Amino acid sequence: MSSEFDISRNITIGQYVPTGSFIHRLDPRIKLLIFVFLVVAIALNTSYIGNAVGLILSLYLFWASKIPISYGLSGVKPAIPFIIILAVLQLLFQGQLFSGGKVFVDYGFILITSESIRLVIVSAVRFIEIIFLSSVLTLSTSTTELTHSIQSLLSPLKKMNFPVHEISLITTISIRFVPTFAIEMEKMMKAQASRGADFGSGSWWRIIQRTKEMFPIIIPLFNIALARAEDLILAMEARCYTPGGERSTYSVYKAVTKDYLILLVGLLLTLLLLFYPFPI
Amino acid sequence: MDPIIRLENVSFSYKINEKTKVSVLKNISLSIFPGEYVAIIGHNGSGKSTLSKLLNGILTPDHGEVWVHGHNTKDTNKKRAIRQAVGMVFQHPDNQIVATIVEEDVAFGLENIGVPREEMKKRVDEALNVVKMSPFRHRPPHHLSGGQKQRVAIAGVLAMQPECIVFDEATSMLDSFGRKEVIQVMRQMNNMGMTIITVTHHMSEAAEAGRIIVVEDGEIVMDGTPREIFKHKQELEALKLEVPSVSQMAEVIHRQFADFSRDIIHEHEFIGEVEEFLSGGVGS
Repeated sequence: MSSEFDISRNITIGQYVPTGSFIHRLDPRIKLLIFVFLVVAIALNTSYIGNAVGLILSLYLFWASKIPISYGLSGVKPAIPFIIILAVLQLLFQGQLFSGGKVFVDYGFILITSESIRLVIVSAVRFIEIIFLSSVLTLSTSTTELTHSIQSLLSPLKKMNFPVHEISLITTISIRFVPTFAIEMEKMMKAQASRGADFGSGSWWRIIQRTKEMFPIIIPLFNIALARAEDLILAMEARCYTPGGERSTYSVYKAVTKDYLILLVGLLLTLLLLFYPFPI
Repeated sequence: MDPIIRLENVSFSYKINEKTKVSVLKNISLSIFPGEYVAIIGHNGSGKSTLSKLLNGILTPDHGEVWVHGHNTKDTNKKRAIRQAVGMVFQHPDNQIVATIVEEDVAFGLENIGVPREEMKKRVDEALNVVKMSPFRHRPPHHLSGGQKQRVAIAGVLAMQPECIVFDEATSMLDSFGRKEVIQVMRQMNNMGMTIITVTHHMSEAAEAGRIIVVEDGEIVMDGTPREIFKHKQELEALKLEVPSVSQMAEVIHRQFADFSRDIIHEHEFIGEVEEFLSGGVGS
């Protein structure tokens, strides 16, 4: 059978690969925190060696979580065109802003220096590092764990009347309904295709045409979503849901010494990447 | 014995626009007692589903009162107590599961009423055991079949330890296998002392109940045991309802062989009657 309509099988959100490694067993809140720290550190580090360290670190995390590196590479693949376009643009147009170092080319407005080349290479590697890191995070943490840790990390904001639980509930429900709607969409596409509708035959650059093709799917999908939402409200109300009400939580995480040690290591690495004066 | 749910002269209408209203229920009075297993039947548009939504205050009557354990469903302060006492399972298995993992969904209602964590764990375990879904507790709901999802929804209600569960056409979206699973769970819960109210248009499902209420055009037209109700084949047909298929078969055989009982509503009764008939026990 053709895979043209098999949307539900191609959904990668929440693609959890259970290998039972120590990274999987880490407290998800700690994992999320370290992820945020490292992403900030990598985004601010401009040295070659620093980014090499970051790249090795993200590869090491893949190895440690026992997740096949092919998962990480499949995340990088769709980003390659963006990385290339970004690199070309930076090489051509950002030379004036990063004009330090040796000058290689100086032709009209195009100025290529060792600094602008550094910018190009570092941004490309940075991109890959961040894709690897987020792949490790999402592949080793279930969506439930992620939403719970976001809720838990944001919970101090409750004091400022920030609707932490509501936001986490909204996230959970949207994740919960992604596969449901994918299946729904699949059914509709098959039904419409069997009556002669034409999907995906236009070339990819004809964006307007391809968008128009989706209208007969999107509009009924909205309808269905609203009907489902109404049902869901009834079901939630029948189970005593009161927005903003006092409630208890089922899943509670308890960080142990190991988790705090890992957090410390993560923090040290972050500080190293942020403040150590790498020679190049 | 005091009834769990008591309806007093209840009328309800849906507003279409400012001027027109469609009257759905007319002056209904009804009592449901603890431990009963009640089936509400009626053809599409008879008002049976609306009736079920009045039982735990999802809808409130225009006229008349609904009392759950002495609480009026119009009293907004008592809403929580009412919904804790009367749980509800809906038609679409997909549209009532909130969480991304089975056990978390079962815990959702408990979180809402603020049950402490230890107690919550215990109740989730018990509820999943009753509906036989414990092996699936860590699965995401979209990996389950319709019948399994519906059993998860039942567990979610069961964990809140209600006294009564209303099934609003909870089996109509399921295949016959899933339906059997759910009916089995209903029977089991009723045996444990739970009051069950099921709204259905499957007569074999209604035959499982201890009492059938037939709703037609917003009014209760029959109320009795399945055996009494299914005797009135003509009246039921006039209401666009039929008797269970085993009763129909028994009726057909009875016309040929007068000794074969027509008073049959369950499969096992039918089989028993056939066995007795074959062995020459009947009539000879």
